[in-house]
Amino acid sequence: MNPLETLAAEATHLQHSFDPTTVFSIGDFGVSQYMVYMVICLALTLIVVLVAAKKLTLVPKNKFINTVEYGYEFVKKDMGEGAIGHGYKKHIPFLATLFFFILISNFVGLIPGSKTPTGTISVTWALAAISFVYFNYWGIKAHGGWGYIKSIAPSGLPKVMVPVIWFFEFISLVLRVLTLAVRLYGNMFAGHMVLGIFALATSVFIQAGIQGDFLMFLPPVGWMALLIAMYALECLVAFLQAYVFTTLSAVYIGLATGEH
Amino acid sequence: MDITLVLSALKVVGYGLGAIGPGIGIGIACYGCCVATARQPELQGRLFTNFIIGAALAEALALIGLVVAFIM
Repeated sequence: MNPLETLAAEATHLQHSFDPTTVFSIGDFGVSQYMVYMVICLALTLIVVLVAAKKLTLVPKNKFINTVEYGYEFVKKDMGEGAIGHGYKKHIPFLATLFFFILISNFVGLIPGSKTPTGTISVTWALAAISFVYFNYWGIKAHGGWGYIKSIAPSGLPKVMVPVIWFFEFISLVLRVLTLAVRLYGNMFAGHMVLGIFALATSVFIQAGIQGDFLMFLPPVGWMALLIAMYALECLVAFLQAYVFTTLSAVYIGLATGEH
Repeated sequence: MDITLVLSALKVVGYGLGAIGPGIGIGIACYGCCVATARQPELQGRLFTNFIIGAALAEALALIGLVVAFIM
């Protein structure tokens, strides 16, 4: 049989393996495999951070604790101070929580056989909604209710233009929650889909190689090389998406609380 | 030819067309960020933050295209 036809037939199975299925249910409430992994990632994040926080010393000697501290400093300096500016210190715990949870979720998904919690739209919607509520809350706290609504449009515009610009800025404000959610979901889902396709192609072409002659062993080697290259790229994307999500949250907080 | 197959193929083509503009936009933004960082490396942090904001705004269009392709 033609290996490409087998690949096309197997691809639908791969696609269905990404659908959420009920692992076990509590009453009427079904728990999908993504939720199980989300709880695992949450526990992992807690363990990593709490263990590091417990053994905190002035001069870090332990490599693991040093890494966690460096991550926190990275959030503080690069994202907090760079994006929020004045009064960034009280937002750092929130940003660090987001960063560590998304980073650990993305990397847990890269372990073969496990699912990434951020590869499903429900989890990313929840994360984006938390971020959205957070920056609106701090914006209202900084400017007051009516002041925050007015501050959506930049100041110094001609009077006639204010409603039009306000309308467009308001749409872009509401779209932030959608783009935050879909960016993370799209990157993680598409990345795992590509990895799955390459892994599938490797196995399908190896089967063809066993049945065919010696030259047929060349294609699976190429697929395998592509798979490893994509895996390396996915490691980069996993970090980058956690970084982008946290930075954008910081930028939105900065825009909401800062002066226009 | 199967009509649902044509429709799903057209969705992918539509998303591909929608991704051209943001791709060019993010490319230009990244170019500007790289050139500016090469000229003034000490401003790297703020330049990169601005680059991320610009890239996010441009990328929003491609993401809306992705959502439309999914829900239509």
